[in-house]
Amino acid sequence: MPFDLGITRNELKEAKERLAQGPPRYPSPTDFFLHHTNLVDSLVRKAFWKARSEVPSPSVCLLAVGSYGRRELAPYSDIDLLLLAPSQGGELAPLIEKILYPLWDLGLEVNCSSRSVSECLSLARSDLHVKTGLIDMRYLDGEYGLFDALFQLFGRSLLYQHVPDFAKALLEEIRERHRRYGDPQYVLEPHIKEIRGGLRDFQVGRWLVRAKHRTDRWEAVLFRDQVCEIEGAIQFLWTIRNEIHRLSGRRQDDLSFELQEKVAPLLGFEPGPRGIEEMMRRFHLSASRISNFTERALERILSEPPLGKRMFSSWRRRKIDSSFAWSRGQIDLADPSTFKKDPTRVMELFRRSQLLRAKIAPRTEDALIESLPWIDERFQSASVVNQTFLSILNHGEGVDDILNRMHKLGLLSRLIPEFGAIEGRVHYDLYHVHPVDVHSLLTVEELVKLRTGAYEKEFPLLSSLAKEVEPFGLLILCGLIHDIGKGEEGDHSLRGGDQAEKIAERMGLSEEEKRLLVFLVRRHLLMIETAFRRDLHDEGTIHRFAKEVEGSLRLKMLYLLSFADIRAVGPEAWTSWKDSLLMELFLRTVHFLEKGDVEGFFSTEERVLADLSEILSPQVFSQYREELPSRYLGCYPAAEIAHHIEMAARIEEEVLVVEWEKLDSRRARVTLCTRDRYGLFARIAGSMFLNRLNILGAQIHTWDNGIALDTFEVEDKTEEPERRIEGFKRDLEAVLSGRTTIKRVLMERKETPGLQPKVMPKVEAEVKINNHDSDFYTIVEVSGEDRLGILYEITQALTEHGCDIHFARVSTFGNRIVDVFYVQDEWGEKLEGKEKLDHLQRSLLSRLTGAAEEG
Amino acid sequence: MKKIEAIVKPFKLDEVKNALSQIGVQGMTVAEVRGFGRQKGHTELYRGAEYKIDFIPKVKLEVIVTDEMVQQVVETIERAAKTGKIGDGKIFVYSVEEAIRIRTGERGRDAI
Repeated sequence: MPFDLGITRNELKEAKERLAQGPPRYPSPTDFFLHHTNLVDSLVRKAFWKARSEVPSPSVCLLAVGSYGRRELAPYSDIDLLLLAPSQGGELAPLIEKILYPLWDLGLEVNCSSRSVSECLSLARSDLHVKTGLIDMRYLDGEYGLFDALFQLFGRSLLYQHVPDFAKALLEEIRERHRRYGDPQYVLEPHIKEIRGGLRDFQVGRWLVRAKHRTDRWEAVLFRDQVCEIEGAIQFLWTIRNEIHRLSGRRQDDLSFELQEKVAPLLGFEPGPRGIEEMMRRFHLSASRISNFTERALERILSEPPLGKRMFSSWRRRKIDSSFAWSRGQIDLADPSTFKKDPTRVMELFRRSQLLRAKIAPRTEDALIESLPWIDERFQSASVVNQTFLSILNHGEGVDDILNRMHKLGLLSRLIPEFGAIEGRVHYDLYHVHPVDVHSLLTVEELVKLRTGAYEKEFPLLSSLAKEVEPFGLLILCGLIHDIGKGEEGDHSLRGGDQAEKIAERMGLSEEEKRLLVFLVRRHLLMIETAFRRDLHDEGTIHRFAKEVEGSLRLKMLYLLSFADIRAVGPEAWTSWKDSLLMELFLRTVHFLEKGDVEGFFSTEERVLADLSEILSPQVFSQYREELPSRYLGCYPAAEIAHHIEMAARIEEEVLVVEWEKLDSRRARVTLCTRDRYGLFARIAGSMFLNRLNILGAQIHTWDNGIALDTFEVEDKTEEPERRIEGFKRDLEAVLSGRTTIKRVLMERKETPGLQPKVMPKVEAEVKINNHDSDFYTIVEVSGEDRLGILYEITQALTEHGCDIHFARVSTFGNRIVDVFYVQDEWGEKLEGKEKLDHLQRSLLSRLTGAAEEG
Repeated sequence: MKKIEAIVKPFKLDEVKNALSQIGVQGMTVAEVRGFGRQKGHTELYRGAEYKIDFIPKVKLEVIVTDEMVQQVVETIERAAKTGKIGDGKIFVYSVEEAIRIRTGERGRDAI
């Protein structure tokens, strides 16, 4: 082997492995970087010598750039080299080849560019990436003079010049990158380098310090507390990255679920979802620290006026009051020691900023950060602080920005210490995209958008409600703390209610406001659960809900909060289906609360029959009036029922009559008429599943003459409901006429071996059976991991237990499904008897976990 | 080892390529191809016979990866190539018996 560097590919791999693993395990990621960089340095130098001795070449200089230049090589990082040549045009390709081949053959990812000093400089002027790569240049070997020339010139004529332009270019790059890596998938499985607050952001912060202060020591420009925090944050990210490189055996910067599960125990977190959540919490906290560091470094540079104006503006400060002054359109401190003398002035600062619609000057924010240690219990319970805070909330406008700012500066968790416990906290699942603190602030943002009219066109009803509810500040506070119970174990709503009570007392809310706040926090899921899991056509549902809500102010606030809460979960969470269900529940309940009855919304049986007698011919009317059950008559207007009767007439010739109307681009309402038979619902569910139609809800009716008349709300995420429903009809016809069975079709689909399924967070299976939420039905709620044909299996199990399904609601949250069924037994009664219920529960559970799959 | 073959819209090639190199895929083969699937071309009549014309231009890319990477690569292509419209393309996965780097004679995973 001509290119032998005295080590084989496997030996190198083992050497890396040893470095990464110990024993003793390397104490810190920086330790690993150092040893690893030394190892690579020696190999690169060897390759360089060998190449030089074999290929005649002019005197050149070899540099390390990028992360290799910084000596921050993770186990499988790219190794970027730069070969400096004295002048342009030299034929360096053979030399580079000789350097690269042996390194490549060792499995190293090496890139090498070759340029002259002047080429480097001109390229760095036009290309941000080249410029930032050069910031970290490091001499490796060869002609030192060349390195020195580049180093000096680069600093003097490039890096230290036009720093604000450099900051602007970086800001643009950051924005673009965050946009690309901001989607939910990247929050759940973060890209450790590119996301907000990732390794690249830290880099940007350091480069800025380097350009502005001409020092390598980024920590030199920060307070000691901040330095410790950021130091800890970056070490944590580095540790994780080193681990995932090592575990994957390649460059891998996506912290996928699979890697989260593997890394958490390695870093000493407890095994299982709790440990992963803890690790990811630290991850998010670290990322937000880093992101703050970089953002503030950027702001500081960008908010500085051009040099010429600096002198002029210094005496243009205008006093606002004894503490604050205007400075270049931003709010500054008149006396720098204001906060240390009187920390309560901090809140006044934000009040001013809100009223004057002005930003706070970066150095004032520094003063705030510096004074955080003085902010303690006395601050939290000082009435002047709380009064000011509440008036900020009540003012509404810009309150979301203000709260975000307070959060970033670390003030929010000082004011509401309970908030600190939910910072960075995540759920290990697919549904909750954001950490709880971020989710809470997004909830506030949604409420403000409603209040300020940003949603007027899209959500007119909610927008008008948001404008009329008072005190609005209380609703904002509620948005902010509604999930505050998630800081600890147990039912978060109940715990949150207790904490809300304490917060209300500390803030000096009136007794009435306190009760309202506690109710809203404790029951913030009430409306969501009722709307999505209960039959809104059932009078009893509305009665029960209205009784709990009590008054229309509470109802309005709860409606607004439910909206904001769902919208803040992630872009996929809010759907037009949820919109219509919540609105329906709101309208029915507000009508009931204000008029005292449900008349008008629930048409009586007599009324519908009277209408029907006018639409239908006397002969048809008399034929059907005895056949139509009263629940059915309460569900549809007369005109629709008349149409159903026409459909029913057609099943003399056809097995199945299906009609449908499109509700929006994804959703459709399917009406289906056939002869009732054993297990009909399961077969419908199966056929829907086969055609990728998601069932959202179902109304199932059986007429006394044995006709089944069902309506389904379905969804096709690919926006081709026409094609899917046609397919569904074909499949169901085949099944009903006995040409095939669902089971057989399902088996056929399962046959493709496919790829290893992606590792996803596990979902607990749960079955709740209750006999008290409806007057006539037993309500079965199942929740578990979504998988192929699950709804078919569950409904099949219900059928096998003799349950007649009358109503169903199906929701999906990431990979978790929640299905609710209103069922009766063969005799049209609720299911009774502990043994029977237990048995049903057990067999549903085993279907959910897939235990009965083989049987 | 697996070969992943993806047929994507030509203007998505860059995005797919960048996404793949982000996750550490080191090489790929790309070809311009023409074809049709459900996004059919249209039919023309000529002397009473029907001719299907307009094969739609696509890009086919091939990547060879180790088994552990298959799922991530497929997912990455899926995400990057998706517009949600008809004609986004397809992804196929094949088993690969052997790989050889000609210059060095390396085999198996060392050769990819």
